[in-house]
Amino acid sequence: MEHANTTVTAAAPAFSSRPEDLAWFILLLPLIAAAGIAFFVRKSNVLSAVFSIGAVLAAFFLSVGLFITFGIGGEATVTTPFSWIHVGDLNVNLGVTVDRLSVLMLLVVTGVSALVQIYSIGYMHGDRSFSRFFSSLSLFTFSMLGIVLADNFVMMFVFWELVGLSSYLLIGFWYEKPSAGDAAKKAFLTNRIGDFGFLIGILMVWAATGSVSFAGIAHKLGADPAALGSMASIAGLLVFCGAMGKSAQFPLHVWLPDAMEGPTPVSALIHAATMVAAGVYMLCRTFFLYQVPAAWPGPLSFLGSISALDIIAVIGGFTALLAALIAIQQNDIKRILAYSTLSQLGYMVMAVGCGGPDAAMYHLTTHAGFKALLFLGAGSVIHACHHEQDIWKMGGLWSKLPVTFRTFAIGTAALAGLPILTSGFYSKDAILDAAITGGHPVLFGLGVLVAAMTTFYMLRLVIVAFFGAPRTEAAGHAHESPNSMIWPLIVLAVPSVAVAWLPLGDFLSAHFNPHFHPHEGGGIFGPFNHAPLAATFGTGALLFGAAAAFHLYWNAPKDPLPGQLGLIGRAMKNRFYFDEIYDGVLVPLHDMLARLADWFDRWIVSGLIIRGVHGSTELVGRALRLVQTGNLQTYTFMFAAGVAVVVMIALKLK
Amino acid sequence: MSLTSLLLTPFVGALLVLLVPGNYRVIIRLIALLTTAVTAIGAICVFAAFHPGVADFQFEQHTAWIPAAGLSYHVGVDGLNIGLVLMASLVAFAATCVSWDIERQPKLFYILLLLMTGGAIGAFVSLDLFFLYFFNELALVPTFLMMGLWGRGEQKNYATFQITLYLTLGALVALTGLIALYGLSGANTLDIVVLKAWLAEKPLSHQVQALIFPLLLFGFGTLVGLWPFHSWAAPGYAAAPTATAMMHSGVLKKVGLYALIRVTLPLLPDGLAHWTPVIAWLCLGNIIYCGWLAMRQRDLALLLGNSSLAHMGFCFLGLASVSVIGVTGVVLIMVAHGLLAALSFGLLGHLVKVTGTSDMDKLGGLLRPLPFIGAALVAALMAGCGLPGFANFPGEITVMFGVWKTLPGFVVVAAWGGLLIGGVYMLRAIRTVLHGPVKAEFARVEDAGCWRKLPFLVLLGALIYFGVNPGSLVERIKPAVAEVVKAATAKSPATEAAHTPTATAMNTAH
Repeated sequence: MEHANTTVTAAAPAFSSRPEDLAWFILLLPLIAAAGIAFFVRKSNVLSAVFSIGAVLAAFFLSVGLFITFGIGGEATVTTPFSWIHVGDLNVNLGVTVDRLSVLMLLVVTGVSALVQIYSIGYMHGDRSFSRFFSSLSLFTFSMLGIVLADNFVMMFVFWELVGLSSYLLIGFWYEKPSAGDAAKKAFLTNRIGDFGFLIGILMVWAATGSVSFAGIAHKLGADPAALGSMASIAGLLVFCGAMGKSAQFPLHVWLPDAMEGPTPVSALIHAATMVAAGVYMLCRTFFLYQVPAAWPGPLSFLGSISALDIIAVIGGFTALLAALIAIQQNDIKRILAYSTLSQLGYMVMAVGCGGPDAAMYHLTTHAGFKALLFLGAGSVIHACHHEQDIWKMGGLWSKLPVTFRTFAIGTAALAGLPILTSGFYSKDAILDAAITGGHPVLFGLGVLVAAMTTFYMLRLVIVAFFGAPRTEAAGHAHESPNSMIWPLIVLAVPSVAVAWLPLGDFLSAHFNPHFHPHEGGGIFGPFNHAPLAATFGTGALLFGAAAAFHLYWNAPKDPLPGQLGLIGRAMKNRFYFDEIYDGVLVPLHDMLARLADWFDRWIVSGLIIRGVHGSTELVGRALRLVQTGNLQTYTFMFAAGVAVVVMIALKLK
Repeated sequence: MSLTSLLLTPFVGALLVLLVPGNYRVIIRLIALLTTAVTAIGAICVFAAFHPGVADFQFEQHTAWIPAAGLSYHVGVDGLNIGLVLMASLVAFAATCVSWDIERQPKLFYILLLLMTGGAIGAFVSLDLFFLYFFNELALVPTFLMMGLWGRGEQKNYATFQITLYLTLGALVALTGLIALYGLSGANTLDIVVLKAWLAEKPLSHQVQALIFPLLLFGFGTLVGLWPFHSWAAPGYAAAPTATAMMHSGVLKKVGLYALIRVTLPLLPDGLAHWTPVIAWLCLGNIIYCGWLAMRQRDLALLLGNSSLAHMGFCFLGLASVSVIGVTGVVLIMVAHGLLAALSFGLLGHLVKVTGTSDMDKLGGLLRPLPFIGAALVAALMAGCGLPGFANFPGEITVMFGVWKTLPGFVVVAAWGGLLIGGVYMLRAIRTVLHGPVKAEFARVEDAGCWRKLPFLVLLGALIYFGVNPGSLVERIKPAVAEVVKAATAKSPATEAAHTPTATAMNTAH
């Protein structure tokens, strides 16, 4: 159990001198920056950027300190000094968890956030809302760090929603563009569907265990794995709903590609590296919920021993496949990356479902680095080609954008999982291995297939955009981007390679399994020793995908695939019509119900009742006029009669 | 500051305004502003001096008035009303601020506004039900007058007629219930403390309670907009002048709910238990049905009115749980929603003032010309769909936690209504009113100037303070709630018999 050796310090004095209290500063620094920009330095672009970047850099260095203290050797701690709501059985504290999982995630979030913010100085230069952009980015970083550090479900839900808000603000950053406003709205509402399930799941877990804190629930479930009763699997799946929203899993995946309406740095930070990873992180954080035996209520008992994890694995695998299929037929450079992100998130969710949260977190970490790199590289390309995003209008960029090209190529190699050299190979291998050891041969096969497709669509992008002859004027005159945009690319290219040689997988495995022993014969050839099947198939998929891409796209004037695929190709291009289905079914359904309620209110409640009351009041008024005789005796008689009636009723009731 | 002086301040202010000649407009405004500012500061002092963790009444004052009829002047605050007093006085201050531009008969307007303020505070602090009722009526009558005299829109007269009819009838039904309570209890008093002690000894029979309770539920419920007695609310607020909409939707609406909790939980426990299923179903009418209505509105004022009704549904849901957590959540929502409703209608007032319309189809892209009002409106609408960080979220989530163990099915539906339906109409409003390209005719409309931001900042600040630190309210609220819930769930033999069938009925219902 994850929390077996967690020490819980409740009601400790706030900000004592313990190192884990640094986590509070990490959390609050970006919030202070966001508020400072909004209230004090809104008018100054320079100061806004300084506040925001200064805060996130400070948070990053503090995170490095925490990582050294706790990641390597230190004991996990939970600090809960503030009571938020305490009434009856409901006890919510504001607390932070500092353990291997959270310190690693802190590094990812603050590191990528810092680089993206530095990159934004160049990318957003000259935008009239420059300071609003940095304020929103800081708010986002704060919310995301809240998710990472939360030690209980309610606090996680709070920051979950705040991430939704800041993502809404950033996708809709150029709100005057109708498509940006629509995309922001769609992202927020789709996430809300997931949050709905998440909230119900939290209530269910609280009712069964009496606690909302992760340590408390884990402790309770450790003592009594059947504590959740017949709703165990349902509760797990409901909590997973939250992850489905944030990590854009099928069927709630539709918001992520539209979210590319936001500025490209936002896509890199939120929709590649951090926010979408929140779902996977949450599954890892609450993995104890999924380790209990499967149990279903009566009507669902036919599911038998199928556990929530199995269902999660299938949803993850399906998302990975679906998104990879769609990515193959997209032409917009950012959309290809968006669907690739969807696909990789499906991969991670599948890993969690196969019982490998360590593999999922590993891939999350490496993916955050190289996907942010790819998005920022795409931003550099778009910037250079005067906001052209269609890869078929690019070409020959490799010589014109040398740094962008090289770093983009490194990112592509990492995403495709080039053996030995790149981080992506190791984390992808860990996931394929988890599928085998978890006893899911079909998902393993699916994983290999998706790996081949990933290589295929990424090489398609690289070949079409960077090689061959320029297809347009703009591509012909492209210039390399300014230094503030180039340097983050170079810095991000380092972990795509270097993480490969760090024992990150073992580091994470030891977190989830206290009895974990590193494999014999580790090192850079490790995967070929201890998971030969996964490593071999992974490499084979890479070669196959690469060969297919070169065969089809090297010097191709236009996409040869649509002609060959026919109807399926059209469906892939049109994202399998999910948006159309939702727009055509779900939205009208609610609108119809609303219309019905409105009609009812207008004609029945307001119409009949009000006018009825109006009418009858007039009638009563006329009747009463008959009684108003002006005769004192009549009044006395009626008064007495009234009193008599009241007294009679009173006596009868007693 | 004693409660009596807090209560009298607005009336003294009204008297002072009365003495000033009508053409001294600035002096009249300043008197009103100063009065509500003093009231607000006084309320903050009372709130700060209030001891959390104590269930008894604090700042209590008691003077016999007509001993023969058992009527006494009795005021005090405990967890149920301390937050409401604070909220009412903050909203009154904000409402006075936004009324600066009233040009027609400002003297009468401010007198009515101050009467509303004093009436609302009086209703909240009165522990004698006679005074509670009296003060509530004192605050309601100015509402109707203000709507009729300063209201806006084509539907003004009809809306005024409707709201007057509904609220007067509702108050009358509630009064009948209170008189029945007075007559049938035999205690010869409407003092809540005395009544409670008396009825603990000699509870009313189950049948009597089951008869009185609906009078109070539907009477007070109409004042709150309980479904299906809700249709006065949205058109009423759309037609009311800004300050009146703020005061009524924010403050006066809460009097009905407050009275319902204050009276029925300790005094009519069996009646409450008997009617709990009905409350639970009706509250879905508010949350879902009024949510759908809000989705259909093309007018921002009507949308906000219906959304406010949807929020009231959560209060009734919490009440139906009769649990400490649930009812604590209800009180939290009452405070939060008061601040939020006032904020929303205040901002709407500014929009209508500068653009001349609240028709969403005619508006668009207003975030560019109105950065402050627009951003504040985004905050208000987001708070309205339950975003954490604002006080509504802790209230609604506490209600859901409190109700989950007894009525899980209802919580699922309510959560759908709050998270999804609420999200849909609020985000649509932001999209149509604030986002998109700005229309040429609105490109130069005026944002709130320096001190015009003050009322909105006060309300936003309070919303965020209680949203981030709900403990400051919860710790004050929960002892009193624990006390009334204990009284409401204390098992008498009659309760046992009646409760079992309802409980089974509820379980089969979902």
